[in-house]
Amino acid sequence: MGALKSVFRLLGAPFRPIGSLMGRFLNTPFRQATAVFSLAYVLIEHGIPRIPPLFGLPSAPVPNTVVLEYLVIALVGILLWVSDNEERWSEFKQPIHDVLVRPDRRIWRGALFVIVPALVATQTYLSARPDVSAPPSFRAIHPAPPSAITFQGEQMVLDGLENPLRSTGLLEEHYEEGKRVYYQNCLACHGDGLQGRGHYAQIFNPEPINFQDGGTIAMLTESFVFWRIAKGGPGLPNEGNPWNSAMPVWENFLTADEIWSVIIFLYEQTGRDPRTWELEEEEH
Amino acid sequence: MLKRSRGRWSWLQASLPVAIVAAIGLIAIAIEPLAAQGYTPREYGDFPIIGSRAAIWIAAQLHLFFAAFVLGVPMFAVVAEAIGIFSSDDRYDKLAKEFTRLLLVSYSATAMWGAVLVFGLITLYPGLWGYLSEIFAPSMWVYVGIFFFESFTLYLYYYGWDRWKKGRAKWGHWGLGILLNLWGTAVMLIANSWLTYMMSPPAEVTPDTAPGMVQFWSAFANATWMPINIHRFIANIVFGGAIVGAYAAFRFLSAKTDEERAHYDWMGYIGNFIAMSALIVLPFAGYWLGREIYEFNQQMGTTMMGGFMSWLWVVQAFLIGVLFLAGNYYLWIGMGRIPGAERFMPYTKWMLLVLLIGAAVWATPRNMIANRAEITAMGGQFHPFLGVLGVMSAKNTAVNFMILTTFLSFLLYRRANKKAVVSWEKRGTTIQGALFVIAAAVVLFYGVYGYFVPSIVRIGFSVYQVLAVITAIILIVVIDMLMMRGAKSRGEIRWGEMPERSQYALFILAVTFTWLMGLMGFARSGIRQHWHVFEVLRDTSVDAATPALGYASIVISVCVLIFLSMVAFIFWVGGLAEKPVISGVGGGATGSAPAARDQEI
Amino acid sequence: MTNIKILGVMIGTISIYTWIANAIPQIESVVPEELSFSSDVSEAELVAAGGELYNGGAGCTTCHGLETRAPNLLTGYNGEGTIGTRCGTRVPGQDCKAYLHESMMNPMAYVVEGGFDPMVFQARVFSGAQIWALVAFLQDQGGVVTVTGADVAAAAEADAAAPAGGPAVASTDPLEIMRGNLCLACHMLNGEGAELAPPFDGMGSRIEADRIRRGIIDPGAEIAEGFDHLAGSMPLTIPDLLTARQLELLVDFLAGQGG
Repeated sequence: MGALKSVFRLLGAPFRPIGSLMGRFLNTPFRQATAVFSLAYVLIEHGIPRIPPLFGLPSAPVPNTVVLEYLVIALVGILLWVSDNEERWSEFKQPIHDVLVRPDRRIWRGALFVIVPALVATQTYLSARPDVSAPPSFRAIHPAPPSAITFQGEQMVLDGLENPLRSTGLLEEHYEEGKRVYYQNCLACHGDGLQGRGHYAQIFNPEPINFQDGGTIAMLTESFVFWRIAKGGPGLPNEGNPWNSAMPVWENFLTADEIWSVIIFLYEQTGRDPRTWELEEEEH
Repeated sequence: MLKRSRGRWSWLQASLPVAIVAAIGLIAIAIEPLAAQGYTPREYGDFPIIGSRAAIWIAAQLHLFFAAFVLGVPMFAVVAEAIGIFSSDDRYDKLAKEFTRLLLVSYSATAMWGAVLVFGLITLYPGLWGYLSEIFAPSMWVYVGIFFFESFTLYLYYYGWDRWKKGRAKWGHWGLGILLNLWGTAVMLIANSWLTYMMSPPAEVTPDTAPGMVQFWSAFANATWMPINIHRFIANIVFGGAIVGAYAAFRFLSAKTDEERAHYDWMGYIGNFIAMSALIVLPFAGYWLGREIYEFNQQMGTTMMGGFMSWLWVVQAFLIGVLFLAGNYYLWIGMGRIPGAERFMPYTKWMLLVLLIGAAVWATPRNMIANRAEITAMGGQFHPFLGVLGVMSAKNTAVNFMILTTFLSFLLYRRANKKAVVSWEKRGTTIQGALFVIAAAVVLFYGVYGYFVPSIVRIGFSVYQVLAVITAIILIVVIDMLMMRGAKSRGEIRWGEMPERSQYALFILAVTFTWLMGLMGFARSGIRQHWHVFEVLRDTSVDAATPALGYASIVISVCVLIFLSMVAFIFWVGGLAEKPVISGVGGGATGSAPAARDQEI
Repeated sequence: MTNIKILGVMIGTISIYTWIANAIPQIESVVPEELSFSSDVSEAELVAAGGELYNGGAGCTTCHGLETRAPNLLTGYNGEGTIGTRCGTRVPGQDCKAYLHESMMNPMAYVVEGGFDPMVFQARVFSGAQIWALVAFLQDQGGVVTVTGADVAAAAEADAAAPAGGPAVASTDPLEIMRGNLCLACHMLNGEGAELAPPFDGMGSRIEADRIRRGIIDPGAEIAEGFDHLAGSMPLTIPDLLTARQLELLVDFLAGQGG
């Protein structure tokens, strides 16, 4: 324990001047709370986007809705912290109280009377201002599949349905067939790398699905994927909101075997495994 | 002791539920002969202004709130009475009795709402009622029968409290309490079978199956029956604890004397303790239920988690975050009244940090609300880093960390004013610390490893995480009990010296639990979508569509408000009757200085 | 004062939860609707039903609402006006009603560019009545609605595998019976049909007459080896659509299909 402490002390040595400077400024709970909140904002807005590059991925900003959500959590946390101890709570309230009543803080008071309405006005203006960007779209990740579909005029039960090609013929052949189907039909949108970055991908919203992502086909059963391919955008259930997926209804162009083989291709190529109906299936 | 006649009204109140149940029974039996005489009941009735669905929804939800309360509180009372017997601490006995008094009034409220529900079903959904009663008729008779037994057991339990106060009679009295719980649980099991049948009818039942042909037992013990039983059983304890906490907070805030304040501060602590400890196991029961739903019908499962209800879980995450934060906050403030707690105070901010990060992970949506520019900048619908936090693995890990942290809060609270005398104190603490670290490491390991295995394997991982956490909690508690045997006190807890803020945390807990129950009730009922009995009996009424969350939340809020105002009335009534006790006893047992033993619960 | 505070905290908490639940996307789970019209359906009803389909479940606006993917039918297209005004002149000799109906039953017929056509074969997705409702709705976009209840009734009769209506075809020729009952949509016979279900070719050498009969009457009872994945696909309505004579004719015919 003692050794650990001295190590920390040694490591902290270069920062001590900054520390003491900060210590002098951050000597009241109110200032500490303000500092923590600002730090949280910086971390969320500028820190999180820097995490993906650490793993060799492109940097990605955090959407505003999520920033807001995190900041609310941070604010709640700060309020809980300052008020969970009687002494700290009264210290925290002191500056607020002072600004509101002490005669020598009149200027502060006056400034707040201007700043707060100004902030509200700005926010109102920003939210009411006409904007060219499309409104945010909400999508359910995996819409609920029907338990049975009509595939090319025939009923097909999806519950418990397995990819029939996995139990017949050679996997390599199905893979090759699937590859052909993919490159003839899917490439334009879903792209060469199966990442949803095909030539046409940019014009679509929602964008074509990225099969490489662990949250797409890897989380779904093959029957679900079959349903999505067969029925495309028009076949999406209306619970899922403004569905405007451009995915065609592939049952009009492909046979069942072609769809099943392209599914095999997707899983083989991305190295993902489909979700199975039973655990036992996983083991053989 | 209380020797005051309770007046005529109490007998009226006591006989009310019985009368109501009898009336329902008669009407239910009367319906069938009518049908036999060539009278065909209509399929649906109409309720003015709010519509049939909202009417039946409110009736069912309020019945359930009260039912949960009257099932949760007896468990609580029996445990408190047992502690009172073992520790010969009179305060626990008083506590148990005080709850039972609340129970008496709540019991009639439950029966009244039950009557409203049954009349609602008969008048608004006669078709469904006819269908269900044809399958479940025998269990309905048993149900009303048990209701009689339960009521009379409750009267014996309460009115016999002072008569059977000593020696063997006290044990007999305690046995009555156990019996009361058994009746209550049996009633719940029967009612659960009806509603779980609507969710998960046995596979052999199809739309063409006449209700008379449905096998009673397969309908009774259907796929989701047991998971719902367990889930509701635990949730009732949580709910009972939370409402008791709110009751204590209410009495604390309106207390006139220090003694009263001390008593209700202590009661609030106990309520919060019970609610939070049961809450810790609740997610596991919920997880089992979810799994059974998935296994029963994949489509139903996806509707629940990924379909039109997916946003419900974001709201649920928010509420659970509030529960954990409020519960811990209450404990941390409470440390202010415990001598010796100062030494743990610096740690609270780190525990708070863990809770906040956990809440943030839980509230991170997989699919973010983002505009076109943001999606392009992120390179897709999913954020490369935050998207990772959106899936089950991360959320299970987060909730397990939150559970561990909450447990740590309790442990520190418990230990605050004690000084262990055993020789191995230091080593014991180290082992406890190591257990925490191991449990956290297991949770984290499976959380991360979950990203590298298929979904079906990953689902199993949450079981390991849960087991690690539960094992650690049990072992740590055992060590702690051994270690603190004969511990010296660092000073007495100054019960009553609690800032008012803390009591509002108890209110928020109670409101949140109630609201959350309403929300989960909507989820459970809503996943049937346009079916009365899933894929068997179709809802053909005008209200067949399942409403959006916004509308549901308004109905839930209305239910919660009605419930809370009725509960407030019950609390107030409880206060009316209770006054003689405190003023009569004066500075007696109630005001006696609590010892370190107080925290044994 | 205390009571007011308590009330405030409670109502405040409840309000926040209600607000959050209302601030997130509002999705209602609607009941899947089935259109059924009798011959006395009014024009307004048809147009309304068609409009609901067009803007809702049919998914038409996915493409036809955007200029980029397909002609916009409601607001005019390349200055040619709305669909109701131009449908009558698209194909010489074909009036508006026939044109619209055909373009939904067989969309490839009019997409001459030969390229990639993602238009759904509506006939596979919708009932005849629904398609007529869509036609009525499109005609209503600037034109005159000529779809009548009679069209709807005829279509409904045509695609109703209506058990009440007796046998699907009156023929006693096995091939006619098979075609009329859409057996060849899945089963292959002499190069006609599809290779989805067990082929009729050589059926007699594989299974016996009894088994064939059972397969028609109760398709789910026994599934041919290798076709487990199609269990439940064969319509259960077939026995209602055949006369006893037709059933026996079919059984005899199939049993006679040797290797």
